[in-house]
Parts: sequence; C-alpha cells; structure tokens
Amino acid sequence: MATSVNSAQRETNKCAMGAPYDGRDPDLLDRILPHVDYVEVTLETISEVKDDDIVLSEDVMSELKNIGKAAKIIVHGVSLSIGSHDGWSTSYLRLLDSFLDQIDVAWHSEHLGYTKVDGEHLGIMLAMPKTDEALDMVCERVSAIQQRYGLPFLLENIVHVIPDFPGDYSDAGFLNALVDRTGCRLILDAYNLECDAHNQGFSIPDFLDELKLENVRELHVAGGVEHNGFLLDVHSQLTRDSTVQLARQVVNRAAGNAKVVVYEFMAEAVPGLGYDNIETELARLRATFAS
Amino acid sequence: MDLATHQRKLLGLVRSTYQVGSDDDAYIQAVARSKDLEEAWRNIFLWRVYVLQRSCVLTFRLLKRRQVLDEAVSAFIAQRNISPFRETQGPAFLEMLSGHGDSVIASVAQFELALMKVRNGDSRSYTIAWCVDPNIVLGSLAKDIPFEDFVPEGLYEVVVSREFSSLFQISAYTSARQRRKAARTSFSR
Repeated sequence: MATSVNSAQRETNKCAMGAPYDGRDPDLLDRILPHVDYVEVTLETISEVKDDDIVLSEDVMSELKNIGKAAKIIVHGVSLSIGSHDGWSTSYLRLLDSFLDQIDVAWHSEHLGYTKVDGEHLGIMLAMPKTDEALDMVCERVSAIQQRYGLPFLLENIVHVIPDFPGDYSDAGFLNALVDRTGCRLILDAYNLECDAHNQGFSIPDFLDELKLENVRELHVAGGVEHNGFLLDVHSQLTRDSTVQLARQVVNRAAGNAKVVVYEFMAEAVPGLGYDNIETELARLRATFAS
Repeated sequence: MDLATHQRKLLGLVRSTYQVGSDDDAYIQAVARSKDLEEAWRNIFLWRVYVLQRSCVLTFRLLKRRQVLDEAVSAFIAQRNISPFRETQGPAFLEMLSGHGDSVIASVAQFELALMKVRNGDSRSYTIAWCVDPNIVLGSLAKDIPFEDFVPEGLYEVVVSREFSSLFQISAYTSARQRRKAARTSFSR
C-alpha cells in the first residue's frame, strides 16, 4: 500500500465531515454545524411515543428543517433489523417514509445485522451468519429498499459481540457479494474493526486487502471503553489516533469514493464529553480528512 | 443449521432463556461457553443504564441510593421485550417499577411516569398515593442531594395534571378518611 500520495490523489482523498444530532440540544447543534458538511440523523432517537404510537418528534423535525443549507442530512437507522429471518421492522420503515416526505437526504443507511428474532428484541445487534441463505435474504431486502425509496442505500459492518459463525464467506467476501448483487454501498466503521481485532483476533489488514474499498461511501470513527479486556462499542469517547489512522488508510485506498467521515458519539455521552471537546474533535478530524 | 434456527438459538442465549444441550451444534455450544456472551450481557446492561439514567432521572437516582439499581435493570432486561426505540424504554421501566415492593420506589416511579405522560400532552390527571413526605423525597432527588434514611411517614397524595402550572400538586392528609373525602370531591368536580 502506498502511504505517500501526490497532489491529484490528495484531492480525491479529501473527505467531508459529519456528526450525529439527536435533537433537543440546540447548543450542541450550534457547536457542531460550523465543523460538518453532513448531519447524521438516527430516526429511533428522534422519535417519541404519541397516542401509543411511535412518531417522529415534531420539535426535532423543525430543528432539522432549520438546518437548511448549513449541512446535508443523512439518515442512519438502528432498528430496521434487515437480517431478521422473520422480516424487518415495519415501524422503522413507517418512520423513514414520514421523514423522507419532509426532509431531503443525501442517502440513508442501516447496519448489517439484526436486533430482533420472532418479534422478540435482543437488546443488542448481532452480525449475520455469512451464509448463502443469509446473503440471498439480505440482497432481496436491499433491492426492495432501493426500489421503494430510489435513494442510495448503505450498509455498515457491525461489531461481532459473540464469536463469528463459520459460514460460506469471509466478512469482506460477504460485503463484496452484497454490493455486487445489489449495487448498494458500504459504511465502514473503523472503530468497529478495531473492536473486532481486539476482541476476536480479527485481521484488519486481511479484511481491507479483500474488501473492494471503492464501494465504501462513508466511514465512521468513534471512541469507546475497555471492560473486562473487551473493547466496547459504546460511542462515549473521543477517537483514538489508531482509529483515525485506520480510517485515513481506507479513505486513501477508496479511490475517491469515500465521501464523508462521521464522528459518532451518543447523546448520552455528550455531558461527559463536553461541547468544547466535541467541537475540538470535529475540527481536528476535519483538518485530518480534508487534506 | 438454517438461519431461523441459528437466530432463535442465539436469541435464547442472549436472553438467557435457552439451555444448550449436548445435541446442539458445536458453534452454539462454543457461544454458550464464551466470555463474549458474558460481555454481551454486560453490554446490554450498560446500554440500558445509559438510556434509563437520562430518561428516568428521579427513579434512577433513588434506585442507586437504595442500592437496587443493578437488580432493577437486570429484571427489566429479563422480563420485558425492550424495543430499540429509546423513548419507549423509560416508560416501560417506570411501569415495571410502579409495582415495586418498596413503596417509595413505586411512588417515585408512578410519579415520574405520570409526569412523562402529562409533559407529552396527556390530558388525563394521575393521582399517586405516598406513605412518606413527597416534598422531601422528590426535592432531594431532583437536586441530587441525599435525604435522610428516615423520611417522616404520613398520608400524602400527588396529583399530576396539566391543570397545574408546575404539572403536579402535593397534598397532605391527617387521616385515610380525609384522603378518601378529598378524592371523592376531586372526582365529582
């Protein structure tokens, strides 16, 4: 892999910056907007219960509409459960319908995994077994989503919280096949890869060598904590240098197709992180990925 | 192993409702023995704590003070089919705790749940009976300052309603008969 790039390459390797916003914290929005080109919205966190139904919060929708041209919106779901054998979440799709009726988005995305089985919630997201049966099912659903919305749809690699199932494909092979068959694009979460390497002995170099990196449209960087020797996928910290370097490496090898790097932090972590640190982190990351 | 079987068995392991047998697939046996599964349970627990800490501030603080937080969150995870929609998790947790054996925990949970509903536009009014002075308990929980272990007992009632500018009103009664009378008056209004 070439680590030095010429100026033309450098230009194509520039990436826009993104950050999540869950609404109801206008001060945070004011702090992040000057540093980002994209605002990542997770529908599950901007929803509320009204008359025993889950609906998008009108207040948060107003906030998002007011962003206007200051940043583009991208939707990143967590509960579609595209990999559940018994079907995906229709509640999520109803929210997505409603959101897209009101706000233009650059693209939307989900995690390649499942959060429920037979209607029972796991309380966590599990990775797909990389089998032909699972691939066929997910491809069919990705195609249906692409047809339904006519928008670019991206899927993200998730952390393997339990040992990997010995399936028909490697992790990269499964993602390559998924993209080849559906034309969807990928989100690569650099921190998730580091968690897998730390917790499962996953080989990041082998994965990156096999993955068709030109299909990566978006990258995620985040920081978490170590507990009982496991690196946890909780987005509660600033990013580690190793995570940023890994994401930079992917951007350099994605031949200009990686468009945005999103620094993910959860709303619950904002008081601990502090507005100043979030702002400084976004500025640092922007400087890293915009050059 | 087909996808449905694979996912059902993992659901059972994650929710601790499935006992692995000797005829189970080697993979399922390996997952059941793994430290990863234990850590996954811990992970699920931490995620719930993150959300509940923010959405059920008063009850969360009281559970922590009473040193029953872990027990309550674990029971919530085991007994409830918890939706990934964060906004539903707080009400579901409070609903479960509304029947808690510790009457102070039950009253605080009922109060916080009622407040949540009224703040979200519910036009009904909710009456919660207390056996200790709610002023002391709610005041200290709201400010996150310790209250004495001994809170004076008595007959109190908290009504949560949009009719009040503060959304709730606390009343003290000298006898159960007086409380019943007040309830009848309020009902006939």
